[in-house]
Formats: sequence, structure tokens, C-alpha cells
Amino acid sequence: MNTLTIQLEDALYRCNKCGFCQATCPYYLTTGEEWAVARGRLRLTRAILQGKLPLSDGAVRSMYQCFSCRACNVTCPSGVPVDEILIQARTELARQGYLPEPLAQMGRTIATTGNLTGEAADARRSWWQNLDWAPPQGGKHETVYFVGCVSSFYPQAYGLPQSMAWLMERAGTDYAVLGRDEVCCGYPLYVAGLEAEARALAQANVRTVREAGARRVMTTCPSCYRAWREFYPHLLGEELGVEVVHSTQWLAEAGLPLRPLEGKVTYHDPCDLGRGSGIYDPPREFLKSNGLHLVEMSNTRAEALCCGGGGNMESLDLAAGHAVAQLRMQQASATGAEWVVTACPQCKRTLSSVRSDIPLRVVDIVELARKLAVTD
Amino acid sequence: MKDYVLRHLEEIVGPQNVRTRDEDLFLYSYDASFPEHRPEAVVFPQTTEAVSRLMALATEERIPVVPRGAGTGLSGGSVPVQGGIVLCLTKMNRILGIDAGNLVAEVEPGVVNQRLQAATAPYGLFYPPDPASMKVCTLGGNVAEDAGGPKCFKYGVTKNYILGLEVVLPDGRVIETGGNVVKNTTGYDLTRLFVGSEGTLGVVTRITVRLMPLPQSKRTMLVLFDSLDAASRTVSAIIAAGIVPSALEMMDNLLIRCAEDFVRVGLPTDAAALLLIEVDGADAGLDAEVASIEKVCRQIGVREWKVATSAKEVDQLWLARRTVIGAAGRFRPTVVLQDVTVPRAALPAMVARIVEISNKYEIPIGVLAHAGDGNLHPLILFDERNPDELRREHEIEKEIFSAALELKGTLTGEHGVGLTKLEYLPWQLNPAAIEITRGIKRLFDPHNILNPGKIVAQ
Repeated sequence: MNTLTIQLEDALYRCNKCGFCQATCPYYLTTGEEWAVARGRLRLTRAILQGKLPLSDGAVRSMYQCFSCRACNVTCPSGVPVDEILIQARTELARQGYLPEPLAQMGRTIATTGNLTGEAADARRSWWQNLDWAPPQGGKHETVYFVGCVSSFYPQAYGLPQSMAWLMERAGTDYAVLGRDEVCCGYPLYVAGLEAEARALAQANVRTVREAGARRVMTTCPSCYRAWREFYPHLLGEELGVEVVHSTQWLAEAGLPLRPLEGKVTYHDPCDLGRGSGIYDPPREFLKSNGLHLVEMSNTRAEALCCGGGGNMESLDLAAGHAVAQLRMQQASATGAEWVVTACPQCKRTLSSVRSDIPLRVVDIVELARKLAVTD
Repeated sequence: MKDYVLRHLEEIVGPQNVRTRDEDLFLYSYDASFPEHRPEAVVFPQTTEAVSRLMALATEERIPVVPRGAGTGLSGGSVPVQGGIVLCLTKMNRILGIDAGNLVAEVEPGVVNQRLQAATAPYGLFYPPDPASMKVCTLGGNVAEDAGGPKCFKYGVTKNYILGLEVVLPDGRVIETGGNVVKNTTGYDLTRLFVGSEGTLGVVTRITVRLMPLPQSKRTMLVLFDSLDAASRTVSAIIAAGIVPSALEMMDNLLIRCAEDFVRVGLPTDAAALLLIEVDGADAGLDAEVASIEKVCRQIGVREWKVATSAKEVDQLWLARRTVIGAAGRFRPTVVLQDVTVPRAALPAMVARIVEISNKYEIPIGVLAHAGDGNLHPLILFDERNPDELRREHEIEKEIFSAALELKGTLTGEHGVGLTKLEYLPWQLNPAAIEITRGIKRLFDPHNILNPGKIVAQ
């Protein structure tokens, strides 16, 4: 087929091949290859639209295999909305049956189980089963804590919701978790171009939160945050009427006092929180206001390098993610910090997976806050 | 390409470093300029030995080979116009050594310019040539095109900083030119011959560069004008006054608007033109230089004159300048950038001609210039999907070249002839000069396999 059509064709033509996207693209930085960078992806898309090139496996790969980190969007002098163009192209590709099998499998798994891993919905309660207390569930509460799949199903991430719930308890927040009633936020499906499937999940989650009577949705996962804040109103065509908050914003406002920490920390901006949602300062303010010695990496804030766990790359090219994580950890190490603080369970998983002699500890800001909380 | 050749290529660089699928060929059919042409294979070598074996094979089989770096060239120099092999050197990207005591560094061709800057800064050193694309362009590409940049007004261009090269000749032989000494008159200056040869004489596989101590301090000035002419006359006046800023850049209103739309730093979008002027050196002398520049500016008549007060402001001004070519895509979808250079006193006349040409053909042309060098980058902004605009664009190029040569300038200052200026070469070089140049090409590359069809297409 060579009848790819996208609404953003004019935006696509704004790419004048300057190649500046190479400077910040994690895939290009670790491969040095044109198919893996925005300029190449956009040129392929354009050539297919013009009928100059058939849709081939390689072209399809170029449009799907991407960390969706949006570094190119920010770097592009011409302002090409690369991520939106690629999501449109993927939506069209999916409709025509070009969805890569690992993503089709992911779609089926989420459709049957409501989560990425394929485990039963009951397993969403696993993270609190070994605690001597349980977070509130059911009933009417001001805040719903939307835990997200990564924190719910990967045991190494359990510390994040455990810490977040503990901190909210301590702050006296009126909150509840959804337990088995929570379903995947839909982010992985949306960026894969499975818009209808993502919309169904958005509808389910919004219905559940409305039934709980909540006025606020709390997230610790930046992708869930962005899905709720940005994608849901778009997918559902309406304002949600709930405030969507990320843990870093809550921490910056909650004013929980921390004990001092020896050594320096550096902060890794999660893509969906920083570039995706413009939240750069709250985590930094929280760390600094508690007297932590914060040092910045060479690529920081809008130019931060992805952790390597973005997009659906874990399903499509795991090794590429490891290479990016390695590069990011080298940048972190160069700061002389002992801790890499992030604010995303996926960033923590990916960065922690780097085998290295460097004695760097990776921690989510919520876990760090829990660890250093002053407990009279 | 024949199967046994492909198998041989795979044996030389490994199968994972040879690409022949349609989409891969398409992806290496372009650089940052307008022309496109697909190769028959894309190969990523990682050693000099691999490049040497590949060139020997290519000579034996008479296959064109086109060296390529990041593909940010602005003249089509790495576009494989006769097919063959694109030899992509981005994976040959090690910094081999920084010798701070001797002020030299040795790098492979795929090292990105900015990476060398970052690596030398801790030693208090820098590599002066700073093309606008320095965050992505490779040093191999910089050598091939003899790249310049804003700092070249004071510091000179790439050829002033290349001390030695390792080069694979088209038949696979490997030679070393120059060395790591700053004076060297042993034989012809082959190093200089290769710098700016656009990959037509040999494949550069190792580069020894000269470094400079980072200046102690700098001052960055932003000067705004109510007319483009006043801006260009100011440039000539600064030079005539014997002042040597480290950068003297000019941007017209159209480009100020494009830049501001991207960087959002508060550039005045109603100014007719701006000059970005920088001086560097020992801190003690800088204020006097700034005062001299201010005096010249005020004599001509400026709308506003100011010195940047923070490092952040300086970074933002330079970000605006370095990204403006890409940002022009916000205004019209197709951008063709020219590179004519005129004697510095002729800058106001050349700028006036560009404005006239733009009006005549009713196509916007943004005026961007490394003004201190007389090096202009008129950005012709159009839509390639419109055949009439495409035709007018071609006429505009001709008139710009013609005007530059009338003013005793040159077709290209720092981007190379490549494909885009090929047909105009006889306008500048006489038949004897072209024949000598072709003779040099034949001597190095008798079978015309290395980047054929460029500079002096045979």
C-alpha cells in the first residue's frame, strides 16, 4: 500500500532536513543511523505519502521503533510535531494491518486483562499485601491514587506506591486506590496508534474515578499523568472535570520535612513529565528546599536524554533501550552524584538495569521522600 | 549492485554494516540541501583497514563511493548522484587523543564537532571552527567542506586548524599528510589539498587538529537597526575601523521573526535587522573594544545597542542564530540556502542586490550572513510543490551568483560546490583552472570512482 494519508501533511513539509534532531535523539546517539532519527522517519513518511517508496517492513519499523521521548520535537528549529505525525502514521498503519506483532500482542493482553503484563486484575493489590496496613479502597474520597501498571505488577517497583500511600497517609490526604477496578491508562496503545482501544480504556478509567466521586487524580507515573491530563480530553472530546496531579507537584506543595542526605544527587527528567508536560521545577524545588545537593547532568530539563524505557521499545528493541540507559547513567556518573533521583517507575526500572561498576543508586523521588521522612 | 560485490562488502565490514533495502537507500539519498539521489548500498566502516579494502574493491569493480558524515551538508556534496556506495563514517567516531601540552587532538572522522568541544573544554582548550550545525555535524564532513562558522572571522576556517590527515586513496592505499607540528614545509601541502576537496580525492580516516586556549573572557552585543542597509554599512565600518570581533553575524527581519518563533527569547520582531557581535580575549582589553564598536554603531545610527548581561542571554542569542536556518521552515516549506561571499566592503551592495532579486521574483529571501567575513547565506524560501516557485527559485540562484561574482566575490564561502553550484563553476574558474583541477582529480582518482560528479564533474 502506498496510500498513507495524514492530516499533518503541512507540518511534515516543514522539516527542511537540517538534521539538528540528531543532537538529542537517543536512538540516533546510540546507533548513528538515519532510520532511527526524526529526519529519516519524516522523510520516509513523506516519500511513502508521495508514492516514491513502498511501505516496507523497514519503513514500518522506522515509524514504530522510537522512544517517543519528544527530544526531536523540542530540538526541531522548524517546530515539526514529530510525535503527533508518527502517532497519526501509526494509527493509519494499524488500520491497514501493519501493526508489529509485539504491539498487537500487547493490545490483546490489555484488552483481556486490563494491564500490560497479562496478570489477573487482582494482582493490582499485590503491592500492599505484605504491608501491615492497607490503602483505602472504595467509598467517596477527594483523591484517587491511580497507581499504574508498572508499579502494580513489577515487584521491584512496589516501593513506589508503598511510599506514596505512606506519605499521603502521613499528610492526612483523603485518598483511595482503585485496586482491581483500575485498568491500563492506555498510553502504550495511544502511542502505538491504537486510538480506539486507548479510548475504551480512557472511558473505563474516567467512569471509575467519577463513580468514586474524586476531584483529583494522583499519579506517580508520568505516562499515566500525561494520558490523564493530555490524551483523555482529546480522546473523549471533553474536559474531565478532575484535577490531574503528579507526585512531584504534590511533594513540592506538601512541605514534608526530610532528614539530610549525605552526598550529591542528580535529577533525571522523565520524558512525559518534563518535555511531555512541562514539569521541570517542582521536583528540583522539592529536593533543594530539603537541603539536598542537586547537580545537573549535561543533558537536562528539555534536553534530557530518555532513560531508554520510553515508547514501546521494551517490546520492540530491548537492546536499544539498554544502550540508551547506559549512556544516561554515564551522564549521571559524570556529575559526581551518588544518587540518581527520578520521578517515574519506568525510568527507575530501566536505569537500574544498567550493569555498571559505578556506585550510583537510582531512586524515585517519592521513595527518597519516604526514606528521608522525619518520623518523630 | 552485483551479489558477489555485496558479499565482499559484508565480509569487509560485517553484514550488519551493509544496507541495501529500498528504505535504507532512500535514507542516504539526501543531505540538508535540495538534491536527492539514491545509492545502491550503504556501508558503515569502523576501521581504516575496512575503508582501504572497500576502496580497493570499489576501484577494481569501478563502483562510485561517496563518503558521508551526518548528512548536514548544504551543497549536496554527499548526495550519491551516480549511485554506488554511500560510505557512512558516523560509526568511526572515537576521539583518539587530546594532547593538551602540544595543543592538538586526534579524532576519527565521525566525531561530532560539539563532542570535540566538550572533550577539550576541561583542558581549557577549544577547536575554533564552529559551523551552525556543530551539535550534529562531523569533523570528517567539516574537513571535506572546509567548514567555517561565526568564529571564523577572527580565528579562521577549518583548513587553518588541520595539521595532519590519514587518508585512504581511491585505490585503497593509505597515506598520512602533515603531522602534529604547526610548521611543516616538507613537500607539497597535501593536507590543505584534501581539506575542502569534498570527498573527491580520498577518504579521511583520521584527523589531527590544532586547538587554541579558550579565551579568558568575552562580551556579546546585540545591535538592532531600522534598516538592513544600516546594518550592512555598520559591518563594513567596523572592519574598516580595524576592529576584529570574534563574531559578527547579521540577520534580517524575516529571519528574526523565524528565529523568535522558535527560541522565544524576546528578539524584537519589528527590527529591520540585527547584528550579533562578540569580542573575546583577555578581560582587561574587552571593554575598550566594546566601546569602539559602540561608537562605530552609533555613528551609523542604531535603533538599540546592548551588551548581554548573563551567560543565559548569550546562550539564547547564539541558539537563535545557530537554529535560524532550520527555523526558516516555519515560514515556507522549502529552504534553499546559498553561501556566496564577497569582499567585505561590498557587503552593503550585495545585501541590496539580494533585496532587489527577492522583489523581482516575488519570493522571500532571508538575509543571514557571517557578515564580518562577507559570507552571506541568503535563504530562499518557497514551496517545492509549486512548479512556478521552483522555476523562480532557480532564476534567483543564478542572479545571486552572478551578483556575487560581479562584486569580485565567490560562489561559495564554506559549504562547497557539491552539486548545487556545479553548473556555475565556469562562471568563476577559467578553462585552464578547471583543467588543472580536473588533472588533480585524475591523478588521485584515475577511474573517477570517488564522489564522482562533484566540484569538477567529468
